[in-house]
Amino acid sequence: MDRRMKLILTIVSLLVFILLLWLAESYMDPFIKRILNVAAIYVILGVSLNLINGFTGQFSLGHAGFMSLGAYASALLYMSPALKATNFFIEPIIWPLSEIQIPFFFALLVGGAIAAVAGFAVGAPCLRVGGDYLAIVTYGFAEIIRVILNNLQNITNGPLGLKGLPTYTNLYWSWGWALFTIFFIKKLVDSSYGRALKSIREDEVAAEAMGVNLFKHKTLAFVIGAFFAGIGGGLLGSLLMTIDPNSFNISLTFQIVMIVLLGGLGSITGSVVMGVSIAFLMELLRFVESPMTIFGLTIPGISGMRMLIFALILVITVIFFRRGLFGQKEFSWDWIFRSKRRNAE
Amino acid sequence: MSLLKLEHVTKRFGGLTAVSDFNLDLQEGELVGLIGPNGAGKTTIFNLITNTYLVSEGKVILGGKDITGMKTDRITAEGIARTFQNIRLFGELTALDNVRTAFHLRLKSSVLSAVFGLPGYRKEEKEIDDKAMLLLKTLGLEKYKDDLAGSLPYGLQRKLEISRALATNPKVLLLDEPAAGMNPEETLALAALIMRIRKEFNLTVLLIEHDMSLVMSICERIVVLDHGVTIARGLPKEIQNNPEVITAYLGTGDLYA
Repeated sequence: MDRRMKLILTIVSLLVFILLLWLAESYMDPFIKRILNVAAIYVILGVSLNLINGFTGQFSLGHAGFMSLGAYASALLYMSPALKATNFFIEPIIWPLSEIQIPFFFALLVGGAIAAVAGFAVGAPCLRVGGDYLAIVTYGFAEIIRVILNNLQNITNGPLGLKGLPTYTNLYWSWGWALFTIFFIKKLVDSSYGRALKSIREDEVAAEAMGVNLFKHKTLAFVIGAFFAGIGGGLLGSLLMTIDPNSFNISLTFQIVMIVLLGGLGSITGSVVMGVSIAFLMELLRFVESPMTIFGLTIPGISGMRMLIFALILVITVIFFRRGLFGQKEFSWDWIFRSKRRNAE
Repeated sequence: MSLLKLEHVTKRFGGLTAVSDFNLDLQEGELVGLIGPNGAGKTTIFNLITNTYLVSEGKVILGGKDITGMKTDRITAEGIARTFQNIRLFGELTALDNVRTAFHLRLKSSVLSAVFGLPGYRKEEKEIDDKAMLLLKTLGLEKYKDDLAGSLPYGLQRKLEISRALATNPKVLLLDEPAAGMNPEETLALAALIMRIRKEFNLTVLLIEHDMSLVMSICERIVVLDHGVTIARGLPKEIQNNPEVITAYLGTGDLYA
């Protein structure tokens, strides 16, 4: 199978995908559209965390922190001055944030950039620690951000959060960014830089001895991962129409870590498939939280039962399928056609 | 001409002096052996040259330039490459990718030009591919290029590690027990390989080895370490008959000493 054929296939499937997006955006009911939006955001978050955790091998638990920075920074930029005035009724928002309003796209970019700066700030000092210690440091960092956001009353509105945000996020924005994230990170990990990142995961000492600058490449992974986390956070804020510091807590990070682990550390395909699956499962499994009768036994609805099921899936995966659904494998046209040929024989 | 020079290099770990007052003057094109019993501090010296361990005292000079305390990856860029005693390949990467990774330090293109596949990067990537394939061919590894490095048999892993080190374009190659775990025929082939790459790549080689047949047959000079102290240096013949070296390896021979 030659390169041109693959390129044509890729372009055709992209066009079909855009057509499907258009159909979904125009005719689907809002409930399904919302799940599809969440799915795209999960894909962005999963793939970007996979860059840090799966490809570079730096186990980070800071994703919710990066997301919250992106969500707040972009929301404060795309909200209208009037909306800000109604939100900040305890203490007015500081100038110049009270006056600024910029288009959604640029607000997202600024949000991503601020998250990226934070990514550098975490990545740089974390260079000296690895493994469990790094996980704890990054988790601590996410908590610091949460506490700061909770207390900056005249910038973030503190624990009241921001409410009534305009809904800019639609399927084009969310899936557009998801596709860009997949493209960017796939190209990155397949490049010479990607090989350097993977070599750090495989053996830090050998990587350094082969001339890989550990500082530069680890912070690179953190900066890029954090940037896309910030974008994902911004999209999520505008989708949910409300953000407060406590919605970006550790359980959100765990959801993303779960996507990466179940899909396979080091597999973008895995993160995409699991990101979409988890978005749908979250809704499909809602029934377990409603009251039900099994064999004459009536169980009252318990909220949070869904997470129990996910936890169980995670435990089973870690014990029996340690490499996740895809391991380190990736989707490719070759792979599809090879398996087809094999079936035909 | 002196290429790599170690002057009064000392390393202390707390109260233990692992290497004390070590001096070495490696001439360009030389092949020098570094031997000694287990725990003598041979690998520590490699780690001091590459600044994997910080030198406590003394200087490391490469081609007239003081590289003491320089970051490990910079030292590699300056022209010192090494292999490891317990093979440290990137196990989950293919053989080709292992070698290609070592070319990364000479890459000039930025991250963004790599991601968006700009012409400048594509050209560099093509060069890396070609050079990496050439290296694998030189060492007879081309048919394993798509195999995961971790799945290769032991002898080939050793070879792959050497080709990865060569990919950094070194002036000085530090080989840490390349013959460990090899049978006599493999060791013989290795000796031939070392002589060949040394000539082809214009290398100066510092070799740690326990296999005396290999050391005696290819090294031009030998330095013997024991408990971090240099106990002898000279031609292979001189070392073989040096009573102090024999004592270090075998003991005094007096049971009641």
